[in-house]
Amino acid sequence: MESFSLKRSTVADRNQPNLSSKVYVRSTKSGKVQKIVRELYLRQDIPCSSNLCRECLRIAPKDSADKVAPFVLSDTPAGSKNYPNGQYLVPDTNAFLNGMDLFEVETAFHDVVILQTVLEEVKNRSLPLYHRLIALTKNEGKRFYVFFNEFRQETYVARNPGETINDRNDRAVRKAVQWYNQHIQEAVTARSKKSKRVPSVVMISDDRDNLRKAKADGIPASSLSDFVSGLENANELLDMISASQERQEIRSGKTEIFYPEYFTMSKMMTGVKAGTLHQGIFNVSPYNYLEGSVHVPTFDKSLLILGRENSNRAVSGDVVVVEVLPKDQWKAPSTKIIEEENVNKNDNPEAEDGENIISERERRALQEEVKRVHGQTTEGRPQPTARVVGIIKRNWRQYVGHIDRDSVRSTSKSSRQQQMVFLVPMDKKIPKIRIRTRQAGELLGQRVLATIDSWERDSRYPVGHFVRSLGELESKGAETEALLLEWDVQYRPFPKTVLDCLPPEGHDWKVPADTNDPGWRQRKDLRDLLVCSIDPPGCVDIDDALHARPLPNGNYEVGVHIADVSHFVKPNNAMDKEASSRGTTVYLVDKRIDMLPMLLGTDLCSLKPYVERYAFSVLWEITPDADIVSAHFTKSVIRSREAFSYEQAQIRIDDASQQDDLTQGMRTLLMLSKKLKQKRMDAGALNLASPEVKVQTESETSDPVDVQTKRLLDTNSLVEEFMLLANISVAGKNYEAFPQTALLRRHGAPPKTNFEELANQLKVKKGLELRTDSSKALADSLDKCVEPSEPFFNTLVRIMATRCMMSAEYFCSGTQAYPEFRHYGLASEIYTHFTSPIRRYADLEAHRQLAAAIDYEPLDPSLQSKAKLEGVCKNINVRHRNAQMAGRASIEYYVGQALKGKDITEEGFVMKIFSNGFVVFVPRFGIESLIRLRDLATPEPEADFDAENYVLDIKVGKGRKVELFEKITVRITDEKEESTGKRKVKLSLV
Amino acid sequence: MAPPPSLQVNLSPAELSFIRSSLAQTPPIRLDHAKGPKDFRSMRAECDVLPGANGSARIALEDGTEALVGVKAEVEKSQWRPVPGESARLTAAGEVTMLDVDDAADKDENTKGKGQNSWVEISVEVPGFRDDDALPVFLAAMLTETLLASGELKDRLYINNRFHWKLYVDVLLLSPLLSYPLSLLSMTTHLALLTTRLPALKSEKDEDPLFDDDWDASVQLYGKERQQIEKPPVIVLAMAVGSNIIFDPSKEELAVADAVLAVACTTSANSGGRIVSIRTVDPPSHLTPPGVPNAMNSATGGKVPTSSADALTQRELLSNSGVWTPPRGGMKRSLLSGIVKMVVEKGGVAEEVIEALQRVEIG
Repeated sequence: MESFSLKRSTVADRNQPNLSSKVYVRSTKSGKVQKIVRELYLRQDIPCSSNLCRECLRIAPKDSADKVAPFVLSDTPAGSKNYPNGQYLVPDTNAFLNGMDLFEVETAFHDVVILQTVLEEVKNRSLPLYHRLIALTKNEGKRFYVFFNEFRQETYVARNPGETINDRNDRAVRKAVQWYNQHIQEAVTARSKKSKRVPSVVMISDDRDNLRKAKADGIPASSLSDFVSGLENANELLDMISASQERQEIRSGKTEIFYPEYFTMSKMMTGVKAGTLHQGIFNVSPYNYLEGSVHVPTFDKSLLILGRENSNRAVSGDVVVVEVLPKDQWKAPSTKIIEEENVNKNDNPEAEDGENIISERERRALQEEVKRVHGQTTEGRPQPTARVVGIIKRNWRQYVGHIDRDSVRSTSKSSRQQQMVFLVPMDKKIPKIRIRTRQAGELLGQRVLATIDSWERDSRYPVGHFVRSLGELESKGAETEALLLEWDVQYRPFPKTVLDCLPPEGHDWKVPADTNDPGWRQRKDLRDLLVCSIDPPGCVDIDDALHARPLPNGNYEVGVHIADVSHFVKPNNAMDKEASSRGTTVYLVDKRIDMLPMLLGTDLCSLKPYVERYAFSVLWEITPDADIVSAHFTKSVIRSREAFSYEQAQIRIDDASQQDDLTQGMRTLLMLSKKLKQKRMDAGALNLASPEVKVQTESETSDPVDVQTKRLLDTNSLVEEFMLLANISVAGKNYEAFPQTALLRRHGAPPKTNFEELANQLKVKKGLELRTDSSKALADSLDKCVEPSEPFFNTLVRIMATRCMMSAEYFCSGTQAYPEFRHYGLASEIYTHFTSPIRRYADLEAHRQLAAAIDYEPLDPSLQSKAKLEGVCKNINVRHRNAQMAGRASIEYYVGQALKGKDITEEGFVMKIFSNGFVVFVPRFGIESLIRLRDLATPEPEADFDAENYVLDIKVGKGRKVELFEKITVRITDEKEESTGKRKVKLSLV
Repeated sequence: MAPPPSLQVNLSPAELSFIRSSLAQTPPIRLDHAKGPKDFRSMRAECDVLPGANGSARIALEDGTEALVGVKAEVEKSQWRPVPGESARLTAAGEVTMLDVDDAADKDENTKGKGQNSWVEISVEVPGFRDDDALPVFLAAMLTETLLASGELKDRLYINNRFHWKLYVDVLLLSPLLSYPLSLLSMTTHLALLTTRLPALKSEKDEDPLFDDDWDASVQLYGKERQQIEKPPVIVLAMAVGSNIIFDPSKEELAVADAVLAVACTTSANSGGRIVSIRTVDPPSHLTPPGVPNAMNSATGGKVPTSSADALTQRELLSNSGVWTPPRGGMKRSLLSGIVKMVVEKGGVAEEVIEALQRVEIG
């Protein structure tokens, strides 16, 4: 019968000890369900990677260069109390899931073996944690080694009949630990007969059953918390263990349920497909933490989500599935400011009993809301309201915040007692996080980084754990790091692999003198052109330079020369990957976080004056009426004659005594730029405004001394016009060459509903009409929004209009139809970013595409794949937005610091009115702040809110009316909030 | 259906006559004289041969005929169709109707009658034949018919109102056609279906189906928990020679059959054997060359008939003379009932075959 069988045994049998297989079911996106059989060929040459072992070094597979991968684990690993001879750690899946932050600590957890079994399980359970784990294995100092135990014959474990996958994997981990111990023992003995120091290989697990079985088999094992307790600074480390596991054990006894259960995944998917449920990203209103909205593809307007119960444990940013509530439960969006810190000030983080999801005070706040809504007619009509029924994807990240002082029971620094405290995140949209800590006393008054671990149905707030402290509140270092973390800006120094990609000559790199050098291939020699650059003062990363000269036929030749970054950054090397993930340079008030290493950004690529540099040039022939006759693209070598600041350039142009060719060229540029701008405006380009201020800092300490609003000179718009022109020309060329894969930038026309509120406000308050049928109509009607007595009114309206717009985005041309390419704000059919490759990755990609379009070099395959480009676009869109936000937050922080201890009276404008407060914008400092009724007098004064006319009639003193768009005088002070220890700019009515 | 050329035997009329007469004796003497009329040819069977299929089996007969069957299941969207008596749920197509199942226990009840014939697709491949040749098509039709006859199988493929499993049964004859393969293919199919497993369903009711990715958690199509349910039917061949009934005839035996029946039978734990369907198969004996009796052979002093009508009359008279005449077909009612009885009776052929195959799976 033996010879008859064709079967390949699934269990390794005697005849085939090195063959096994793995069977599982795979469900594909299209709904197919497949049985997958993977054959496993077990081998014996997978090294243990311990420097103690010589045998493995001999058998380890060699690469093409005949080299063995260097061994990772130290031959003298650190020991601990229980394992004085040193230890190699083998954590199981739960250990990583609960304590990833611990493993990332620099001071502890070295020499760790990551089993393949564990790595795969981590990948299945949490992709972000998996990526962090992979990053750890690349960190040479940490000595993390991935051991492929499933492929090594000795450590392979076949699943027993009836055994669950989990049990089998646990057994595989134990088996691997057992083998490792034996193997290391043998290795040490083989090395020298005398050596007694044999490191233990210790399994780290939080699974009690696993620990018990390990003990029974005599395998060294320890729970994560037991192990950490044996280390130095155990208190800090213990706080970093995820809270989810402990909780379950503690609270298993009593289960009071506060939130409805989520639907099953299949039920949600079915519902979404059938259109009865909707999927979207959950957003919390910045003014009211109880009000959220979800934009779903089915409807134009976002769905409203009111109250904790309906938002059902969703945290701002999560991808959720919602169900629209019956019409009688629809509500109007709130006109009231509700801040968590005020409503729930007195919550006790420890108390779990009798806790309701809606506290009494919250209920009252909501009650008033409902009453108000019912008494209303037109404005604030009830809107479709929904509730969250499930979460597709949590987008939890690490949150920066501070410990709520009121939630700390004992503040003594010596007390090592563990207690529950609240962490109040900086981001108001995020609920308080309950964290368990032993160092509450020390953490008070510090900026703290924490993560959310879980949010169970029986807990009112999410539970998380401490990651690390950034430093004292309000200290520059801590606050800067905090905002970089909040906006996910990668600010660590460039790793060595990236720096290795730089030219070996370093700062001595020069454009080769010999024009036969390969660097000169297909490069135009434009060194004799009178090129200059105009930038903000103190700019070191000079992306662009310009020139203009008259042609014999009466037209002008105008050139825009952009730093040739793509010459230095080749696709797909480490530097390119780093730049791609950073996406953009981030500018803070006192700091710049570069996308490319300094050497390139500020020297080799930067178009510095008086030296020769590689450039990518766009040359036009332009008529004196600013009509484009022709455009030409070429790689070039230029020598900038001068680097001006906007102001210097302006002075030089205005100075009639300067008659040299360079100044004449600049005058030509200015003349042409004005005509170009007029053309753009005629085509319907929008002139939008955002509140821009500049913080003046003391040069030494970079402490803020003054705040100024930015001045705009003619030369600003000179540069801007030609950059726009270059971008548009390049976009057209790239699209022509690569209709499917050109990287472009679009700005969608905003949906009409976005402007509804603003248009109504203008109509009611000022009798002005805002027309939004086209960008031209909008531009014209914005021009008419003037109030002769108040020049700033127009700017205010523009600021508000800007907020109604969509944000511009990068995209890959193959993903949209041509009419969708349109840039609404610039009124251009097609647009891309080309002119700042030093600080934006999109421009670098555009450079590569343009170089291929003019047959300078072949296009890298990564730029030909639509899918890859879409990935790049998605990332740089996020990075771009984050960089802007981080920049704004930085300015906000410095403005706050500049105002510290001051008491100023300034003019402000009312931007938004609620029933219990209003938002005031102060143009002088570019700050926007809320004035609540209760700030005006205690007890909180009564007020009548006329929502239709946007008037708040406050009954304080002899009565005071506040209207929308009204110019009021406010007093600006700063105050430190007692409960939070946070400094805030405070406005009050004068 | 006329038997394919390769099934025709090259036996002389005398040899045919000899075989027939020995089979017609009481008790019959079969070609393999050690076998009784109800004995099957010995076979070797193996299941779960194909790792990538949901179920598979292989059977080789002693004469060298060998078959391989693989069963593959795919999730398919059901066509929405109105159910009489449920007019309240007659909403637009595509609308999800979350039908509340009162009790999980009567889930089997619920799936009753919901299966459709198109959910099972069988393809038969025989070496040397095109897939649209008559033999493979006929065999596939026979197998499909028997599998669908009881409605058991197709109902088992029901997932919910919107989805079902589609079963692809690929039947492959590995060897050249050495004997009539219907019974072999059916038994192999039976064995493959017995070992077929479907991924375990995790979603509920009418949701888009979601399955457990652990293959060990998959459920058997003919699972142990469904013991009371009928096994997949098996086709056995029975032939009649004179008044004798012989099961599982060999190629040569078939060449002298008066009539051949394909009997599809099944068993269930409580009710014993049951006939699912019966079809007559045109035996190859019809095409055998008739023997020429001395009386009609001029070489042996006989007289050659003058006309074809004359020849017919003369042959009528020959029927009992021992000279080979191809049988004319047809079967007596009593023989038919005899076959049915032998198949379904307690300890009969049906039970015996199915039990034997069941043991393959366990062993």
